[in-house]
Amino acid sequence: MRAGRFDELIHAPTRLAIVSLLAAVEWADFKFIRDEVGLSDSALSKQLTTLENAGYLEIRKAFVGKRPRTSARLTREGRHAFELHVAALQEIVGRAGAGRGLR
Amino acid sequence: MQPDEAASALAGIRQQQKQVIDAILVPAWYWWAVAAGVVVIGAATDTRRTVVLAVAIPVAVVIIAALTVGMIFGTIRRAQVRSAELLGDRGALLIVGFVWLVVGLTLGIGFGLRAAGSPVPATIATVIGGAALAEGGPVLMRRLRTIMLSNRAGSRQ
Repeated sequence: MRAGRFDELIHAPTRLAIVSLLAAVEWADFKFIRDEVGLSDSALSKQLTTLENAGYLEIRKAFVGKRPRTSARLTREGRHAFELHVAALQEIVGRAGAGRGLR
Repeated sequence: MQPDEAASALAGIRQQQKQVIDAILVPAWYWWAVAAGVVVIGAATDTRRTVVLAVAIPVAVVIIAALTVGMIFGTIRRAQVRSAELLGDRGALLIVGFVWLVVGLTLGIGFGLRAAGSPVPATIATVIGGAALAEGGPVLMRRLRTIMLSNRAGSRQ
């Protein structure tokens, strides 16, 4: 089992939802993330910028015809940090289960 | 952090990823629509009337192609699946196997019935093939969903 590393930045509820979503896809459209996570445009932009500044996220801006389209994806570091964070959560749950088993 | 908070966070992650995977899978109505188009092609073929063949088959083919292209691009526009990681070899084999099974079943039955002298071999074959699509498509999606959920990031240690 991989040793986990709890990540405070990822663990914030909205960021955890965003990172969980992105961990399942290659790229995701801004509107798709917004609708799935249930955030406003400005709140999502803020969270994406925080994750981007941490090096966990890459943001791509492109034009489809005349319409701007923003997409995001996890970087390798972001994906790794997410997997370690999940492992850390599993360890916490696992330890509690083992503790209960000893009692 | 308390264990129940960690468990709740893990449940939230699972739920979020299930939602994403459900959003990118092909809906059941698509399979029914394609099945209907295939039956139209089969029935038109059996009429052997030039006008029917010239109109019904191209229209059905265009509708099926438009639905398929729309479905693919609609999904890609929202999110691109990490197909190599999420689907893996097992998922890819399932998709290819399903397509070959439906095509093989439809053609096999069609040619078999024609050899047996059936007056409407293509109609019967495409009704059976269409039923396989309409019933098997959602089953395939459920299997892919299971595979994708087991392969998603954070689910393996």
